[in-house]
Amino acid sequence: MIEGRGLTKTFAGRGGLLGSAPVAALRKVDFVLPSGGAVSFIGESGCGKTTLGRILCGMEEADSGQLLFDGVDLTKLPRGKRLARLRRVQMVHQDPYSALNPTRTVRQVLEDPLRLRARQLGRGNDWVKNRAVELLGLVGLDPRYCLPQYPHTLSGGMRQRLVIARALSVDPEVLVADEAIAMIDVSLRLGILALLRQLRAELGVSVLFITHDVAAARYVGADGQLYVLYRGQVVEHGPVDAVIASPAHPYTQCLLSAIPVLRGLEEPGAEQLMPLAGLDVGHEPPGCLFADRCPQAEEDCTLSRPDLRDTGDRGHRHACLHPRLRQVVAQAHAGAT
Amino acid sequence: MRTSSADLPSPSTATAPPVTVPGEAGGAEIRGLVVVFGTPDGEMAAVNGVDLDLPLGTITGLVGESGSGKSTLALAMMNAVPKPGRIAAGSIRLPSVKDMTQLRGKALRLARGSALGYVFQASQNSLNPLKRIGAQLLDLGRAHGMEDKGVLLARARELCERMGLDPVRTLSAYQHELSGGMRQRVGIVFALILNPRVLVLDEPTTALDMISQRTVLDIVRDVHRDRHLATLIITHDIAIVADLADYLAVMYGGRVVEKGPTRHVLQSAAHPYTRGLIAAIPRISGDIEKARPLVGRPPDLLSIPRQGCVFRERCPLTIGRCSLEEPALVPVVKEPGGIFGESGDGAPGGHAAACHVTAPAGGDRSRS
Repeated sequence: MIEGRGLTKTFAGRGGLLGSAPVAALRKVDFVLPSGGAVSFIGESGCGKTTLGRILCGMEEADSGQLLFDGVDLTKLPRGKRLARLRRVQMVHQDPYSALNPTRTVRQVLEDPLRLRARQLGRGNDWVKNRAVELLGLVGLDPRYCLPQYPHTLSGGMRQRLVIARALSVDPEVLVADEAIAMIDVSLRLGILALLRQLRAELGVSVLFITHDVAAARYVGADGQLYVLYRGQVVEHGPVDAVIASPAHPYTQCLLSAIPVLRGLEEPGAEQLMPLAGLDVGHEPPGCLFADRCPQAEEDCTLSRPDLRDTGDRGHRHACLHPRLRQVVAQAHAGAT
Repeated sequence: MRTSSADLPSPSTATAPPVTVPGEAGGAEIRGLVVVFGTPDGEMAAVNGVDLDLPLGTITGLVGESGSGKSTLALAMMNAVPKPGRIAAGSIRLPSVKDMTQLRGKALRLARGSALGYVFQASQNSLNPLKRIGAQLLDLGRAHGMEDKGVLLARARELCERMGLDPVRTLSAYQHELSGGMRQRVGIVFALILNPRVLVLDEPTTALDMISQRTVLDIVRDVHRDRHLATLIITHDIAIVADLADYLAVMYGGRVVEKGPTRHVLQSAAHPYTRGLIAAIPRISGDIEKARPLVGRPPDLLSIPRQGCVFRERCPLTIGRCSLEEPALVPVVKEPGGIFGESGDGAPGGHAAACHVTAPAGGDRSRS
């Protein structure tokens, strides 16, 4: 189990003549990722989702807060031990086109990390070769066809499967999928999502799913938690379907309203909301971070910043002074498939 | 501007009779378009006999996977197919251009931008990082013989405001100072500054988050209405155009395999590929387990079958005839009590599909 407590990260503003203000990427973020579970983070670009994933992979360090792996606080461990634990977390990047070295064959891509793993486990070269075949099979690629190929001969979906196979080569317990389907053809996306599901079920891998595609989060982690990040703050979280069906925070409502409606198969939500302006991380308001874009803001919203509070529903929390439930997501027509 | 139908090039006889869509005449008309690429194995068709109408006042969504030929089709509309590709056959009529495929040199350069506006997939890659946005707009105007800077800037300001951009800030900015959504909107400003009647957007929302995507799509809808354009949106995500487009055309392996009014196509998709695409979208409400991945991989130039139906290797409904004979794009027959308005031989409003099983020429349509 992985637990984040009060994770905070601020990036210093750039200096110089046109120096910009520091940007808070994460503000006291708490989350729990159970073993074999799935947790999804949604939010606009620039709201700190990727920073969170990078901290979890050890590519970035939090300024403050705790990161607990099975109850052990990683931030207190010496570097060597910390990195050994962080190896159990592997990242699946957004762009499978730049995540693979174009001059290395699929066999090389997989066998390099596998040889390291073999040394740790005291296995030989045969194990490496067999394991490469096994991993390709696991992610739904044909080993005989793929092993001698270079990445450019594979489709986007196949490349992303290969990236996942490479991540699995070191037997991770957690996969951080950062927009892992954004660059992939829609027709092939569901295959990748189904693979992540299958890995959860078969290997007990837990998945931290970072996305702006809420329906994809619903598919990968229907039984998990959904966290809505806005400018580094968790403004709403709860069971995936509870947040989608009855979002309390206007920001969540705006995000969900923006999902395209399949006209003819779905009816748009009755009470859709759109933010009043674009995202501007430049200034730091004293009150609610979303107040300047919120179509429902009231006077006191600019005065104090609300913390997470219970909605009354089990485990569903929000940070809004004036929450009102709205039906914003599209509803499928009865009988439509 | 040419609007009379007397100038229409005759439809290609090599392909199925074109199914026209209703709307005002005078938009863009693509007839029998074939684009081939030279490969070591000879010339391969990336776009193979496509007929498509883009009437003024309608938004058409062109949907397909990577390698379906959708972007090649769009580049062909600008007569800008990169070598080793070339337009081998067909014609492209635009409101002010009789046949785009026949233009060369200066005439072609002037027609691009003024007859047809093009929004590139990644606007950050189509903007010059070393020049301010305003200076690049002036370059564009100068290249098209618009010497009056004042008029050009006034137009640019008006367009920026229309896009919800601050004109002063945007025009004096470098591209890296703008967010992804803003850059995409700047791309639309560039496409519209010369007042074309036809607007082509290639994957306009790739890499944008949900809210930016919605903003850009709402803007496209608004300027489309304001200016009474013929708009073509190219995407691999059927959901993006489902909300916006009046008509859908689905491409696979260089062919249009299904087209028709958006609602009809979504509610009663006839082609197994279209059905697969729709089923593969995870939905925000209802039973998530109904989503089904589309099996197989999209064909590339070398793996497009040369005979028979292009989709047959991934098709769940394939029959013997599919590997022998290529299905023609024929009107989907009206079902008794169904939602189809009109049908028949190329009737306006026509929903057409190319499938031996679900849309057999002149036969019944069975549903699976």
